Amino acid sequence: MTADRILVVDDEPQIQRFLRPALSAAGYEVIEAVNGADGLKAAATTAPDVVILDLGLPDMDGKDVIAGIRAWSNVPIIILSARDRESEKIAALDLGADDYIEKPFGIGELTARIRTALRHRVEKEGGHATLSADGLSIDTIKRLVTRDGKNIRLTPKEYDLLVMLARHAGRVVTHKTLLTSVWGLAHGEDLHYLRVFIGQLRGKIERDPADPKIIRTEAGVGYRFVDAEDR
Amino acid sequence: MAETDRELKSRPDPDALLALAQQGKRGKLTVFLGAAPGVGKTYAMLTRARRLRQDGTDIVVGLVETHGRDETAALLEGLEILPRLEVNHRGKILEEFDLDAALARKPRIIVVDELAHSNPADSRHPKRYQDIEELIDAGIDVWTALNIQHLESLSEVVAQIAGVPVRERVPDTVLARADEVLLVDLPPAELIQRLNEGKVYLADSAKRAVDRFFRLGNLTALRELALRRTADRVDDQMVDYLKQNAIEGAWATSERLLVCIGSDLHSQTVVRTASRLASGLNAPWIVVYIERADREEGDSDAVRRLDETFRLAEQLGAETRRVTGSDFVDEILKLARREHVTQIVIGARRTSFTGRLFQQSLPDALASRVSGIGIHLVTDRDDQPPVRHKRLPKLNVLGAWRPLAIAAATVACAIALGLSIQLFIQLPNISLLFLLAVLISATYAGHVAAIAAALFSVLGYNFFFINPVRTFTIAEPHEVFALFVFLVAAVLAGSLASRVREQAKAARQRAISTQALYDFSRKLSGTAKEDDVLWAAVTQLQGTLRRDAALLLPEEGELKLKAAWPPDTELAVGDMTAARWAMEKQEPAGNGTGTLPNIAYQFRPLMSPHGAVGVCGFRQQDKPLDIDQERALAAIMDQTAIAIDRARLSRESMDQAAQLEGERFRTALLSSISHDLRTPLATITGAVTSLRELGDRMDPASRDDLLASIEEESGRLTRFVANLLDMTKIEAGTVNARRDWVDVADVVRASVERARKYFPGRVIETSIAADLPLMRGDSVLLGQVLFNLIDNANKYGGDEPISIFARQDVGDIVLSVTDLGKGIPAEDLERIFDKFFRRGKPDGRAPGTGLGLSISRGFVEAMGGRISAESPAQRRRGTRISMRFPITEARVAEKDRA
Repeated sequence: MTADRILVVDDEPQIQRFLRPALSAAGYEVIEAVNGADGLKAAATTAPDVVILDLGLPDMDGKDVIAGIRAWSNVPIIILSARDRESEKIAALDLGADDYIEKPFGIGELTARIRTALRHRVEKEGGHATLSADGLSIDTIKRLVTRDGKNIRLTPKEYDLLVMLARHAGRVVTHKTLLTSVWGLAHGEDLHYLRVFIGQLRGKIERDPADPKIIRTEAGVGYRFVDAEDR
Repeated sequence: MAETDRELKSRPDPDALLALAQQGKRGKLTVFLGAAPGVGKTYAMLTRARRLRQDGTDIVVGLVETHGRDETAALLEGLEILPRLEVNHRGKILEEFDLDAALARKPRIIVVDELAHSNPADSRHPKRYQDIEELIDAGIDVWTALNIQHLESLSEVVAQIAGVPVRERVPDTVLARADEVLLVDLPPAELIQRLNEGKVYLADSAKRAVDRFFRLGNLTALRELALRRTADRVDDQMVDYLKQNAIEGAWATSERLLVCIGSDLHSQTVVRTASRLASGLNAPWIVVYIERADREEGDSDAVRRLDETFRLAEQLGAETRRVTGSDFVDEILKLARREHVTQIVIGARRTSFTGRLFQQSLPDALASRVSGIGIHLVTDRDDQPPVRHKRLPKLNVLGAWRPLAIAAATVACAIALGLSIQLFIQLPNISLLFLLAVLISATYAGHVAAIAAALFSVLGYNFFFINPVRTFTIAEPHEVFALFVFLVAAVLAGSLASRVREQAKAARQRAISTQALYDFSRKLSGTAKEDDVLWAAVTQLQGTLRRDAALLLPEEGELKLKAAWPPDTELAVGDMTAARWAMEKQEPAGNGTGTLPNIAYQFRPLMSPHGAVGVCGFRQQDKPLDIDQERALAAIMDQTAIAIDRARLSRESMDQAAQLEGERFRTALLSSISHDLRTPLATITGAVTSLRELGDRMDPASRDDLLASIEEESGRLTRFVANLLDMTKIEAGTVNARRDWVDVADVVRASVERARKYFPGRVIETSIAADLPLMRGDSVLLGQVLFNLIDNANKYGGDEPISIFARQDVGDIVLSVTDLGKGIPAEDLERIFDKFFRRGKPDGRAPGTGLGLSISRGFVEAMGGRISAESPAQRRRGTRISMRFPITEARVAEKDRA
């Protein structure tokens, strides 16, 4: 198996300077781009398996790079962003980015995100009938949710919400994505629905709803279904 | 009027409820109404007051006249009595009601006797009922006493009954607004007995009239008036009650009265009569004056009388209107239809038989054209002289000669022309020449000239052209007829022409004032600054009113004089009080109004859609403003208020924009600082975690590079933090530059050494003059500045060498750092010293923090030097940053050394 290819689009030379040796050592092939235009070109010509993208680029808005890539490719995109750029981050995720990681970050965290993204890319092609995490298993054909073998009764909306999160296991799903896919396009801003239903769902599936292990909250952004292989 | 209006408009009346709700916030007025002095109003009032006092109610006596009667004085015992205000009035000390003390004391109920009392000239309000209104506005309940004779609408009736003129009058609205009216009644016979026993106090002036006044017949008539008034009020209250409770009731008719007035004295009688009629019908009433569109009311007496009549009507509760039109009847009917009037009240003047033959009187004309509207005629009283006669002598005697002279001259011309034409040809209709003369006179000198010209023409035509000529006798009978026809034609044509002329004059006048207003509004719309608006307004006011004018606006909660004409105007304390009153109560105050009428100025609030924005004042003169000035004033005030409002809004929006700009700057600043801090941190964290987790899989070169990057980024972080700290010190003004003797060459060498460590591979050339004197300064700060400059040159200098010069120039030590990079555009040269200013990213390399140069400037200035930048520096490339430090002190030092 050839090494997965990772495109790093970042204008900070210092960041490139440590990402290249680190990712190489982790077994990936690294391609560098220092601005948006180069990034788009490299994404088109080198067929990367994952794109790591800094949102603050000198020549163009990082969001435009996402839109450009998404126009023709489903390659997983992981965003490097700062904590104070909340709205930018959410916009990027809504535009089709798959995940984000906040600076400063440890290399272990980044490689975990890369692995999730790569695995998911494989899943997308196959698709699982059964999803599971932390003793919870979801049979999407029978629409059956069990925890340690015991049946859990969910309302249709709770079930839809759970499946939506589980299908994106390991990755953050934004509030807006959840709301529009479960409740419909008109409810993209009705955050309170989500708060109520996530609360109910946790009450039913978590071992300790006060310390949720399956559905994690990504403050201000969305929720993340814990990745079975990555805990 | 507003009240009665409200009462009648609609059935389950929300306004009635609103009025009730508003009453809740204001104080309540209780009037003890009596038919005549001596019926025991004060006694009744105090008896009740004592009872309430015993129940623990907070009731005080503001002012009660006991007139030395023991029974009344006894009642005052145990009641709280406010001290009176001593007023010096023309050398006499008067004891008056102290309004401010009452407002300050703010009891629940206050007793103030004698509602109809007039205050001395310097008081805040001329009348006591105005004091009482202020008390009520302040939320204090007031009890007061009133004799029926003092009611404005009854004053004439009372004067007729009793034969005594009533001087102190109270508007009917005061009684109408009273929440409670208590009738204090005493049979007339008993009253006369009390009077004979000396139990009734009368003012000295009234004593003379006592026999005429206190007659059984008079007292019975007054008692009837008082009883009827009270009964009317009870009726009103019943209607109110029905409406507030939405009970379908008997108030089916909703009458509306239209009262037509003129500028004559009789109109005041018309208004009083109409007021009684209106209150009897419980109907709202409108008083209207119709102004002739083609004729200005020139007589100032008439204008004053009209104003008085209007004021009277307002006091009696009418709504007043001025309408401009040419056809009286038409305008009256239009207004009547628009306002759904059911009755018209009009004054009728007795006209002579011939007068009636030629001209239909206004009532007749009205009667022939209205349908379904009642018409009331109020006839003239015999004893009032007709006002018209007064106008004639007022004709300008000097001016009267001018039209006559013009008439004579034109007729003379016509005669001369006629005679000279007759020398050549015999014209049958030479009279046309005279018609021409009449028309010319009429056009240029008005109707007096027209009539004069017609008469002159008849005489001249007769004398010069009708046989026998040179006599005033006429031979042929048909010539007499022709002459008569000519005279009629000439008078008619002349009056037509003069009418046209007068209309044109009126139109011109109006056009001028309209133009002036238009210019003013253009001037205002062109200025967005408040000061300009105020100046334009105040000069316009002065120009239009021909009086001193002032504009006051609130500033930080206080009303301040912002513009005035003449510009050095200073307002007296009383003026300021009136101005504040006008602003707060949003009603006119000062001279000519009911509030502080004895000051020099009158103030009116400037009302914009957002409330009162300020106050406009003008110095009153002998006569009040005429109609045109009033109109112009209203227009100017409106325009000014709106312009001020707009200026305020535009200033606010500018402030907001500036704030927004500041906000944006802070956001950009924050994100740039956070970026500068975060990037090195991200690099260090990333490199450290990479080394720890993946180090064993890396080759040694990569590991070394990661370690080096950690070291470099830590250094960068350190410098950044140090810069931030330096900046904070400069901002806080705590940079303490030492004043040591510094060897510049030493400092340069040290800085270059340090820089070489940080930027290996960068070529730095130094050139230091050998005879450089010592400078006074702080070697640490200077070293820091030099390092910052080298750091900067390193970032922006491309791969070219950096050169540092130090030399002496006249009285300064000059130190400069030059790079050969791209240079700085001229427009940025000054800004580069601003905090957090950064010029783009030249080649993708990380720029600095935007602090280096700013800190350098702070330090250099702290050492008494100057710093500047120039670009290009050499060969059209690069930037040179130069510092200059004065060396005067160093010279002194050298002298010392020598």
